[in-house]
Amino acid sequence: MKNTLRNPYVYLLFIVPTITLYGLFFIWPMLTSAYYAFTDYVGLEGYHYVGFDNFDKAFGDPDFVASIKRNLIFIVFSVFIQVPLIIFFSLLISNVKKLQGFYKTTVFMPSILSTSVIGILWGYIYHPDIGLLNNILKIFGVDPVYWLAETRWPLPLLSILITNAWQWMGFYIVLILAAIFTIPKEINEAAEIDGATGMQKAVYLTVPLIKPIISVVIMLSIAGALRVVDIVLVMTNGGPAGETDVMASFMVNQSLTLGQYGYATAITMIIFAFALILTGLYQLSFGRQSERIEY
Amino acid sequence: MNRKVGTTIALLLATSTVLAACGGNNNNGANESASPSPSASPAASSPASEAPASEKVEKFEVSLRHIQVGEAQKFRKAILDDIVDKVEAEIPGLEFELDGLQDSFNRFTKLPAEMAAGKPPKIFDLFGGPGDAIKYAKAGKLLDLTPIITELGIQDKFQGLSTFTYEGKVYGLPIGGSVEGLFYNKEIFAANGVNPPKTWDEFLAAAETLKSKGITPIASGSQAPWVPLMLVNTLIGRTAGPDAILGLADGTKKWTDADVVLAFSKYEELVKKGYLTKGELGLNYDQQRDEFLSGKAAMLFDGSWRSSLFSAGALGESLIGKVDFIALPSLADGKGDQTGLNTNFANGYGFSSDLNDNELKAVKSFIKEMYTEEIQVRGLLEDGVLPSMKVSPDSVNKVENELTKAALNVLASSASSFPHFDAVVPGEVYKEVENQIQKLAAGKVDAAGMGAAIQKVADATPAQ
Repeated sequence: MKNTLRNPYVYLLFIVPTITLYGLFFIWPMLTSAYYAFTDYVGLEGYHYVGFDNFDKAFGDPDFVASIKRNLIFIVFSVFIQVPLIIFFSLLISNVKKLQGFYKTTVFMPSILSTSVIGILWGYIYHPDIGLLNNILKIFGVDPVYWLAETRWPLPLLSILITNAWQWMGFYIVLILAAIFTIPKEINEAAEIDGATGMQKAVYLTVPLIKPIISVVIMLSIAGALRVVDIVLVMTNGGPAGETDVMASFMVNQSLTLGQYGYATAITMIIFAFALILTGLYQLSFGRQSERIEY
Repeated sequence: MNRKVGTTIALLLATSTVLAACGGNNNNGANESASPSPSASPAASSPASEAPASEKVEKFEVSLRHIQVGEAQKFRKAILDDIVDKVEAEIPGLEFELDGLQDSFNRFTKLPAEMAAGKPPKIFDLFGGPGDAIKYAKAGKLLDLTPIITELGIQDKFQGLSTFTYEGKVYGLPIGGSVEGLFYNKEIFAANGVNPPKTWDEFLAAAETLKSKGITPIASGSQAPWVPLMLVNTLIGRTAGPDAILGLADGTKKWTDADVVLAFSKYEELVKKGYLTKGELGLNYDQQRDEFLSGKAAMLFDGSWRSSLFSAGALGESLIGKVDFIALPSLADGKGDQTGLNTNFANGYGFSSDLNDNELKAVKSFIKEMYTEEIQVRGLLEDGVLPSMKVSPDSVNKVENELTKAALNVLASSASSFPHFDAVVPGEVYKEVENQIQKLAAGKVDAAGMGAAIQKVADATPAQ
């Protein structure tokens, strides 16, 4: 075994397949996307280089700019509402004595379901006539609420945010739970001896000690919020008159269905740039602080 | 001993994985039609015609993409199956590989991707117009059918081939057609003392009466924007005249012209007065149908293809005999012929230009069997699809479905017809109309604003 690994050709033999696959399915599409973003490619021969026209068109379209805002709303919701809730639930579950496995499983289950299935499921929960929510509200005498079709205020976007949160919170809760369990028990016991209440233990001990994993969760949330598309397409297809369109669903509805692949790849380049900038900014500002935790 | 067993098992696993990946081509077509996500390798979905030489007959496969999936299309699927059997019997060695997909998925996602990759199925469902058939014909992807239909002698028998014709050559053949008009529930009307409206004012009065009685006047579901555009299209044909639609396509008419904007404001009126289903922007086409079938709504503007709902064994069975179909009422402030109808003959079959001799034989035979008076009449009788070819009057008299008869009557009593603008205007312009109609329904734009926004895109789009 040792002799085989010393042989450089064997090394190559092990590495080449993976590098080929990675290059073929990740690097090559990225490079060709970057190339086609500057052309007017429609899938058939005879396309031309058009420079930054596609990007001008995207930023000049008020609907696209509105969809960028919605992606930002997704990010704000994910980071400032979802993450605190995730930490809160993780703390709750970590302190449960009985049935902890049950809670972990039920909270994690939605994240393994297909997003399309969840979209359709919640579509029925939000249905104005036969939906669960409206039937409960009916008991209290409230008029049917148009969860996915309201145009007077951004209720459809909120409904999608709630469904998205329902799907993914469990995944992050399990991540944070794992981090909480790596904290040595002695620390909590020492705090209890000193008379710390549950709340004080959580705020002053647990949360600071899991800062690195919270930082990872926030970064994943930001990247995920920029990528969201399937839940929007399934639940509202961009929403009542484009009100829940996010950048990616805008791309699908406006250019992919028209076969304007050049314009569509330009939009994906914009999404990529946003993701890069935002996660880069986050890493540089908050991420650096939580590199290592010393007990 | 353990190492040997382990190695053998590993080798077996590796070999079987490789074999499964390579040998699965023949089943890919049938399996992939079930998955809604676009396939990563469009080339794999249309198997190359295999020709393993057996004793006398050379077996070959021809891929056939169709859109007859689901409960609503079961009658048409039955007709297609019969044609497939007939052609397979006629051409020795031929086996059709049927691949059924949902219609908008085929039209907007799968077929364009296959055309881009250069490997479309040999026979496929095709829509006419500049965004579909004409676009592919320009790129040389479609088989020129003019010699075939001349040879079969059917070139003059079609109601209209303009949406499939490019530079004088025909690249697709429409399978059937439809007209769009108003379905109404006779029972609900009678119970509320409303008469079928003949003018727009009567129509509005009827809607007002129904609304006051707690019945939704017009079933609607605008989540998919093409649905409300059916009514908008016919309104344009009425406010601006039957030639307006083609005028919008070639630029002689503008979306900002007063008569076109009038059509938008008529639709806006319906929205503002609350005559459409509440929350309709969140309802899709099927839910719109259910509004009407459940009796919650009294009227429905839809295509004559819906007549197949009202037959034995179909979803609207309980309403058989209680529904009628009329043309949209005439507008007092309209222009031109107020009996003008929207007629559509823009869906049919196209064929790949990349065919070998055997496949060409199969295609010719397919066209010969599919485009006959007998099949046209079958489509009419079994599924309410109006014939795209000229058929004799006695065949038409055999129709039993009340609503198909009503559709034929409406067609016969209209003095002019116009296409749907989605078959003639460029794709980008149509997309903008879709965006704007939803904004109009949400109250975010008014009729004039809608016209202006669409014209802006039309001006920026190069002429086809």
